[in-house]
Amino acid sequence: MEQVEDVINQIKIEFEANYQKAVNDGDFDTLFLKYFSKTHGSITNLIKSLPKLSAEEKRKIGPAVNDLQNELKARILEGKRQYEEKKELDANIDLTYTTPPASLGFMHPTNQVIREMNEFFRYYGFSVAEGPEIENADYNFRRLNLPEGHPATDLQDTLFIHEPSILLRTHTSSVESRILTQYDPPMRVVVPGKVYRNETANASNLAFFHHYQGFVVDRGITIQHLKSTLELFHKFLFGADVVLRYRYKYYPEVSPGMGIDMRCTFCKGNGCSVCKQRGWIEMLGSGMIHYNTLRSCGIDPEEYTGFAFGMGLDRLVMAKFGITDARKLYNGEMVYL
Amino acid sequence: MKIPLEWLEQYVKVNKKPEEMAESFTSLGLMLDKPISHYENGKYRTPVLDLEHRMDRADWLSITGCACDLAAFENTTFNFPEVDTAKPPIISEKDRVEIKVLCTDLVNRFNTRIFKNVKVKASPDWLKNRLEAYGIPSINNIVDVTNYVMVELGQTMHAQDIAKLEKPEIVIRRARKGEKLTTLLGETVTLDENCFVLTQNDLPTVLGGIVGGISTGIDETTTDIILDAGNYNQTNIRKTSRRLKILNESVLRNDKFLHPDLTEIALQRATKLILELAGGKCYKNIDWYPNKIPPKILRLRFSRILMISGIELPNDYIKKTLERLEYRVVSEDKYAFELEVPFFRTDVEVEDDIISDLLRIYNYTYIPLQQLSATPPTEITPKIYKFEDKIRDACVGLGLHEHITDPLVAADENIKEQVRLENSQSSLKNALRTDIYPGLKQVYNNYLKHQKESVGLFEIGKVYTRHNKTRGLEDFIETRVTQILFVDKSKTPDENSTAVRKILAGLLQELGTAIYSLSKNAAGVTEIFVGDATLGHIGWNRIVLFNEKLLPLSGETKRVIFDFQNLRTDDLSLMLAPTILLGVVQNEISKASADIKSIEVLPSRFDDKTKNLKNVLFRINHFSNNFAEIRKTILKILEEKFNAVAK
Repeated sequence: MEQVEDVINQIKIEFEANYQKAVNDGDFDTLFLKYFSKTHGSITNLIKSLPKLSAEEKRKIGPAVNDLQNELKARILEGKRQYEEKKELDANIDLTYTTPPASLGFMHPTNQVIREMNEFFRYYGFSVAEGPEIENADYNFRRLNLPEGHPATDLQDTLFIHEPSILLRTHTSSVESRILTQYDPPMRVVVPGKVYRNETANASNLAFFHHYQGFVVDRGITIQHLKSTLELFHKFLFGADVVLRYRYKYYPEVSPGMGIDMRCTFCKGNGCSVCKQRGWIEMLGSGMIHYNTLRSCGIDPEEYTGFAFGMGLDRLVMAKFGITDARKLYNGEMVYL
Repeated sequence: MKIPLEWLEQYVKVNKKPEEMAESFTSLGLMLDKPISHYENGKYRTPVLDLEHRMDRADWLSITGCACDLAAFENTTFNFPEVDTAKPPIISEKDRVEIKVLCTDLVNRFNTRIFKNVKVKASPDWLKNRLEAYGIPSINNIVDVTNYVMVELGQTMHAQDIAKLEKPEIVIRRARKGEKLTTLLGETVTLDENCFVLTQNDLPTVLGGIVGGISTGIDETTTDIILDAGNYNQTNIRKTSRRLKILNESVLRNDKFLHPDLTEIALQRATKLILELAGGKCYKNIDWYPNKIPPKILRLRFSRILMISGIELPNDYIKKTLERLEYRVVSEDKYAFELEVPFFRTDVEVEDDIISDLLRIYNYTYIPLQQLSATPPTEITPKIYKFEDKIRDACVGLGLHEHITDPLVAADENIKEQVRLENSQSSLKNALRTDIYPGLKQVYNNYLKHQKESVGLFEIGKVYTRHNKTRGLEDFIETRVTQILFVDKSKTPDENSTAVRKILAGLLQELGTAIYSLSKNAAGVTEIFVGDATLGHIGWNRIVLFNEKLLPLSGETKRVIFDFQNLRTDDLSLMLAPTILLGVVQNEISKASADIKSIEVLPSRFDDKTKNLKNVLFRINHFSNNFAEIRKTILKILEEKFNAVAK
């Protein structure tokens, strides 16, 4: 037993000597391992030897070893703390000048907006869907109540791969007609994606841009659900004090159709260049899914009703990020800091 | 559609300011498109509304069409203009102008009247002012009346001087390929068999429904005229006008679904005005109208109104509103109204279109809000969508910037699988990309302009290829790709490639596909493999990953360690022939023991140039207590396979 007490004393003396030499984190870690390593730590070994002692010895020596263990651990922790404190106040480290920021990756503004919008709709139980960009006239026009030669096809000058049957989709409604055909109601879906128009590029138009489409089909869906969903959506995006205007607007794939305008946030409705002096900014087109659309997609319009809405995203992204030329979003002129 | 308010007031009187009237029109579906302008000529002054037309309502290309809806919306009276309903005497056989329609698929109705002894002169001021406020210059009283009726009722008309007809006969036929016509504007257009013309003595005088020629026009010497109002195949008009790039007031109306019945009303109205303004006498000439269209009858169920709108509208309100919009109630029972749709409402196809009319007049603003309350349906978001979001987050986490570049590129004859467009307006954008890299490279060049030394970019998008020519959708493949570009100008290409591989390793680790290998194929491209599956390829400054191939091989990201792992590191320095690919050696080492977790390849400076051997250091992270055994196994394998020796 005396032998053990000697060892304890020796450890104390040795520790004290080593402790005085320790100056940094690494030294304290080495010190810790020297005494507490699971394989070769002095105190670990001491503890391992305890079971060999008699009960009386254990009663005496046990607490002493325990105290030693606690004391040394506390000393090492304190040493480390003092070192950290000293380092923090080191006069040689000058923290007073600023530097350029560390580089962080940046998500494209359009995808940031899409993600924000998805977040809203997923909260309300919508799925996110996608579909092909190379599309046929059936899904892009015919099932959406747009027969060949209909004047409304002028609303969407089409880029054809083979006129009139194979084309680049002119709207994400083509995905709506695919999903209406493929799935059974009820459904709540949003569709972000690229769409194409045969337009000459200018400051606000490109031949491709981003659309955001959404639709709901279920029993008992009315135009009141459409208004409510879009009201909540605009409040989510633009704040609770947003002022909206609902008006009749024709779209071939819906009836009744509805257009939604937001009071211009720049001029508060007085008219400015952003709202083209209208006082209102056209936000999106919507309506109750057309009787013929539901029927041509295999859904019974006498049992189910639904609403749909669609919007161009690029103007929204431009407004949100203060971009004046839509081309810059996609032509590589935009860089991130 | 421009609406001079002074003109509009002839049909509907609304005690509102122009701005308020514009608001009403906007609610109805005719949005104010431009700021309200003001036309002024001497004492004549009027505000002019410019309203957006959405292609559906042919009748909204007439002032009376707009006035009828406004009257219903404002709950006031609509006054239809005065017409001459008296049946004119039939023209004598010797004075008759024969009408022969040879292209019966393109003409639905061709209705004509003859006026004798008219006096062609300047129009009165009221007529001139209204037309000019609308935007049409005044020519003479006869031409002005045709234009006035067009704007008022939406029906185009055309007057020709009978004295200038070489034969008393108008033949309407398809044009012949190469045939030419000089239009009223003095422009010569070349025609083909896809369009149709009015002819005199087999020579075209009018491009049907689109524009008149100069040869039979009205001037001050004219006394006898033939006035026609036609109804044509709107698809043909639309296609012909777009092909010949002629867009005018006639085309604007004739490329919509106008009803043939409108021709008769327009002739009656024009007769009233011509007799008033130019005198003379009116005669009925030929009305070519072989297939009369019966009235459209639709049933409007009250239950359907509730199903679409959620509002219970009183039957009286429904009836009154629809009658204001000129619907006629044919019969009614406790479930529905049987309605005759007004002939000019060619846009009304189904019951829900009538409900649209009801709700427009009810005013959308007053429709209540009701939140979606049913249980949300089963989610159908495809896995690939969420997966690409995960790739996006991982790339951003790795410090890469996301860009989106134009999928439209210039056609390249050398790329056989490229998808080409038939009708692009630009030769620089007439095909779809087969590779994202060129677009991203352009973005990179711009970063260089901003003096960025180290640039990491990525795009998640599609590339498009064509594999057959059956002209069906199955010919085309859209491949989802993650393209990464990383260049640090301060590094050598070799050093840069290490950084690119680190990005790949980090990305795949994050996606739960940490075990992969790199292998050079016969074409010299280094491909990325998981097992036998190729996930993409890698270059010194770029990575291409095929997202759909990566998805099934990805798993949960295992980056959180809860228990201490006694990971050990030992180095193995090897001398190898310079042609041996290090990825292959790395792969062999990894197979030597299940305890090996990862192997880093580090550059070394101790090449043996005399024996032409390169020195490579493999840093092996493992869990073994006995690395000596592993080392032996590794050396044995490498010696056999690559003649490698330990240094």
